Amino acid sequence: MLDIELNINQEVYLLQVNPGERLYSVLRRLGFSSVKFGDEHGKSGADAVLMDGKPVNSYLMLAAQAEGHELETLEQMGEHPHQGWKETRGLHILQQEFVKNGSIQCGYCTPAQLLAAKELLLREPDPTEAQVRDALSGVLCRCTGYKKPVEAVLRAAARLKGEEVPPIEDPIQVPPEWMGTDLSDSIPFTRTVEVDGSTLTAQRVITDIKISTSPDNWRQVGKPKEKVDAVKLVQGKPAFAADFERRDMLYAKVLHSPHAHARIKSIDTEKAKNIPGVRSILTYEDLPRVPYSTAGQSDPIPGPLDCYSLDNKVRFVGDRVAFVAAESEEIAQRALKEIEVEYELLKPILDSREAMQPGAPVIHDQDDYVQFAESDPTRNLAAEIRIDIGDVEAGFIEADQIFEAEYEVPKVQQAHIEPHAVVTYWDEDDRLVIRTSTQVPFHIRRMIAPVLGLPVKRIRVIKPRIGGGFGGKQEMLIEDVAAHLTIATGQPVQYVCTREEEFYASRSRHPMRIRLKTGVMNDGTMTANEMYALSDTGANGAHALTVTGNTTKAMALYVGDGKYRDAPNIRFYADIVYTNTPPSGAYRGYGVPQGYWPVERHMEFIAQQMGLDPLAFRLKNTLRAGEIHPFSVAWSEGREPVPEMIQTNALAECVEKGKQAIAWDDKLADPGWKSVEGKPYLKRGLGVALVMQGTAIPYLDMGGASIKLNDDGSFNLLVGATDLGTGSDTVLGQMAAEILGVPLEDVIVYSSDTDFTPFDKGAYASSTTYISGAAVVDAANQVAERIRERAALILESRVKNATILPNEIELSDRCAIAPDGHAVSLEEVALHSLHHANQEQIMAVGSYMSPVSPPPFAAQFAEVTVDTETGAVEVDKLVMVVDAGVIVNPVTASGQIEGGMTQALGYAVSEEMVYDEKGWAREINFRDYHIFEAHEMPELETIFVETFEPSHPFGVKAVAEIPMDGVAPAVGNAVFNACGANIKTNPVTPEKVWRELNK
Amino acid sequence: MITEYYRPEKLDEALALINRKDPRTLALGGGLYINEVIKDPIAVVDLQGLGFSAIDKKGKNLGIGATVTLQALLTSGLIPLALEKAITHQETYNRRQVATLAGTVVAVNGRSPVGGALLALDAELELVGESKHKETQKLGDFLPLRQEVISGKLIISMRIPTKVALSYHYVARSPADLPIVGAAAASWPSGRTRVVLLGYGDQPVMVFDGPDKEGAEIAARDAYSGAADQWAGGEYRSDMAAVLTNRCLGELAEIKEG
Repeated sequence: MLDIELNINQEVYLLQVNPGERLYSVLRRLGFSSVKFGDEHGKSGADAVLMDGKPVNSYLMLAAQAEGHELETLEQMGEHPHQGWKETRGLHILQQEFVKNGSIQCGYCTPAQLLAAKELLLREPDPTEAQVRDALSGVLCRCTGYKKPVEAVLRAAARLKGEEVPPIEDPIQVPPEWMGTDLSDSIPFTRTVEVDGSTLTAQRVITDIKISTSPDNWRQVGKPKEKVDAVKLVQGKPAFAADFERRDMLYAKVLHSPHAHARIKSIDTEKAKNIPGVRSILTYEDLPRVPYSTAGQSDPIPGPLDCYSLDNKVRFVGDRVAFVAAESEEIAQRALKEIEVEYELLKPILDSREAMQPGAPVIHDQDDYVQFAESDPTRNLAAEIRIDIGDVEAGFIEADQIFEAEYEVPKVQQAHIEPHAVVTYWDEDDRLVIRTSTQVPFHIRRMIAPVLGLPVKRIRVIKPRIGGGFGGKQEMLIEDVAAHLTIATGQPVQYVCTREEEFYASRSRHPMRIRLKTGVMNDGTMTANEMYALSDTGANGAHALTVTGNTTKAMALYVGDGKYRDAPNIRFYADIVYTNTPPSGAYRGYGVPQGYWPVERHMEFIAQQMGLDPLAFRLKNTLRAGEIHPFSVAWSEGREPVPEMIQTNALAECVEKGKQAIAWDDKLADPGWKSVEGKPYLKRGLGVALVMQGTAIPYLDMGGASIKLNDDGSFNLLVGATDLGTGSDTVLGQMAAEILGVPLEDVIVYSSDTDFTPFDKGAYASSTTYISGAAVVDAANQVAERIRERAALILESRVKNATILPNEIELSDRCAIAPDGHAVSLEEVALHSLHHANQEQIMAVGSYMSPVSPPPFAAQFAEVTVDTETGAVEVDKLVMVVDAGVIVNPVTASGQIEGGMTQALGYAVSEEMVYDEKGWAREINFRDYHIFEAHEMPELETIFVETFEPSHPFGVKAVAEIPMDGVAPAVGNAVFNACGANIKTNPVTPEKVWRELNK
Repeated sequence: MITEYYRPEKLDEALALINRKDPRTLALGGGLYINEVIKDPIAVVDLQGLGFSAIDKKGKNLGIGATVTLQALLTSGLIPLALEKAITHQETYNRRQVATLAGTVVAVNGRSPVGGALLALDAELELVGESKHKETQKLGDFLPLRQEVISGKLIISMRIPTKVALSYHYVARSPADLPIVGAAAASWPSGRTRVVLLGYGDQPVMVFDGPDKEGAEIAARDAYSGAADQWAGGEYRSDMAAVLTNRCLGELAEIKEG
């Protein structure tokens, strides 16, 4: 052990450390929760601290190296401005701007971004945008697309110089060209930072009054309110799963398989068990054998039960072999090395095309495999889909031309910066508490109960703040590991995945090989569409059926024109097969991005081949308002389908505004624009993709909410919905505040805890604002009614001979206001109800299940420059115009779009997971799996065209997943436009473009 | 796994430590690579107390101390723009604060832009062993045998020429992604031209060093003709080697013309 002295936040700490102990570990041990683990290689930067004023990655530095230097963590920067009688220095201007500007989504990387920004502003008080982006380049953010954090730093710089910055809420005049003849006055929302004159920070949200009926008098909904969790996150408070500590806590590690397909002949754990500090080692021989699915979905799980906490067979490199719990991570790691396993190697399947071939190895040959629908493990078939709408063969006969092509989409990773993390422990009532980074706490509770042999009622699942999920945490992936070890030891257990584990042992997007056939008449009318998808679910079938079923949404957008609108001809067949690769699962977009790459590349190719205007051709054939969603009559995730009519669709307006924003007509009409002066090998191009998502799963997804009035007129809003950084707590709070007539700050939002909050199916399927929001509205309306009744009584007692009808009372400005102007404050109502007369708790529970899934629509535009000598593609600009219904919070919603486009940009050009002939992953870190960094981003622009979806009280649809759908095909189409390279497999890598150009 | 940590303030002490046989003892610069990849038990000697952190311009050369960070080098204003480009391409802002020049050189891999640029500049390392005897070694000689050469010695500085023009071009999946293929070329006032390729294999490779640029493109194309791996095919890399070499040579000509 070494005795060292660390100077942290101007305090001296005398410490004993191991020579190899990382600075990160010491800081965490001392309680500096703002320092986060992101990866082992210093690419995420979540572990950053300032050392002598410079940002360094504490995970890559020994504690001993830091001796003699001044360390600063975010805890030093600022604090909550109001702490009772104690005066505080409040939040630093940077923190204030991050809060105001919507720069925080999940907040996991926020501390590191703030420290980097602080160092920059001390070094360069008047930074350019490029300098800000360089300073933030060491901190990966998967949520924001960096736009709002960059804006916040520029705004803070301006304020620190004494300059005024425009308020976030400030409207600007909408440019006349944005206003079509049908549009009346708009109330646009925008923020333009002009510190460095850059246009990269401009943003517009157009309220399209023509198709919106949202009232002008809304005070909370439709407004750019600060996120309710922002102040906590901007201080780096211990809000995440791994921030939680218990006395005697053990640390879990998992031994993973080095083989893609093997049977375990023997496991010897004796040596490992004898290591001091090792408390438990579990193998398949120690645990009950319970088949389950890891998919966090409603009951019954729409997929096979083909997983076991531990099994005597491994099915991919990274599969589980044993669990270890020890007094420290280092001891647990050492124990893993001492476990001796003898394997009988089996032939693996690494190519989905070989999975169903005669004689192929059977991956799931166990007797207790539980089938679902058409799953057939003897053929390595996890699921099968056969959908025929109309008469596809007749449609092809009626076509003038037939276009057929094959496409391929890769396996990709969600890459949330917070890895999966869980802490489990027995509480004082011998109930198992699971504090976990999950998107689906209620599903976890239900699903894990049989695996552990516990009844549901003895399990409590707590979802703290989540550092991003994107579908990766819609899975029971880690909870059983820690829980089994807690059961074995009786002690609290923490399990946090390493970044390598995230890559080789968690979940990813299903790769697919897709064949498309489209019939088109010479006037551009589509007569029939056929898609076959071979989807690779990896070693387990979680989400196999439902993800691939969702791929149909891309097909559903194009119904054809004329008579085909009433009777479209669409065929969708899919086989979802097992392979010996890490299991696929849910990833933001949930099957839809896989569909749009082929469909939108195909549409572009058809338009080009037939000499049709690509946008007119698309719009001629797209689904419109008033028409039946074609797949609603044919498929509903394995349940009975119910026809569903599209109520709102502003796709045409989205196209029009997107064309204007990217100067589509001007650029394409100008031959000079396509070239770059002095660099004849560079060619510019524009591309577009039209997309449609869903909003929740009809007749299935349900959310609940409860609202309680407090003594001071504030409210507790408890929701089962899980905010994983999206801002859903905030928008749900805004809806409640709107109805209850209070500012958002008077609504204390809490999510989620299976013991205290009502049920919610969780954060997936773009459902929270729509489903959980309607539940909040239901609860708020009930509470509002009770408040009005009591307010009427109070007012009648105060005003002589007055008769006041409760339903005429308006709730506004924290008051209940009668038509004659007499008012009583909500605080008075609360005190009256709780303490003074006829006492009662004003409280209500609401819930909502939707019979429909109103789709959001969007037009995604991309501008690229292609290097025709090297094939390199640089994306210069992305514009997304979205019809997501009414936008509850323009800041959080545009943040979703920006972050989604950035993730999708990786899908377009850089992200893929490749395996060698033994099933080993090529990408196991952020160096090889490249996600976009702050200093290489294209210009991003988000535009909302609001519609009012009549099935929701506030007219909302969804915004979370749709930005994942269009970027890749729009980039592919832009490359096609630029240089003629017709790439059919994403990502669009330089070599693919080069090969296409050199055919 | 690091079992012992030392921070000597004298060179003798550091040399004595790294010449121990048991435990294996390695020099620690910023620590990025040692902390990242070494799994076996080792002892480390932190060099931060030895004062190898100066950047000095001496005649036609720039002397750079072993523990100069990439960020310090980047902001020194003394290095070619192409080397600045290679530094920012290789390391993000946080990592540049800690990554030392010597550590970066020892950890060079095939996709290292900084290694490629320094090799093109024909950088020279100054090493010192237990006998305190100083020796110099060309980076090109050092890299292939670095594990053997460095054993028992410390890099104390690097020397790069100041009157040499440098160019660096690469192809990657995105602007900040590491190169699939890269080329760095340097041109001396005498006309001497040196071309290095990177993106493949264990280290950047010098493929051309001649009195002028004649033959450089062909040499580059040939050198990467078999450079196939999971990231790219040999045919593609070979063609890119030629394209990027030409771009570098074109840029060097422009620099020369002023």
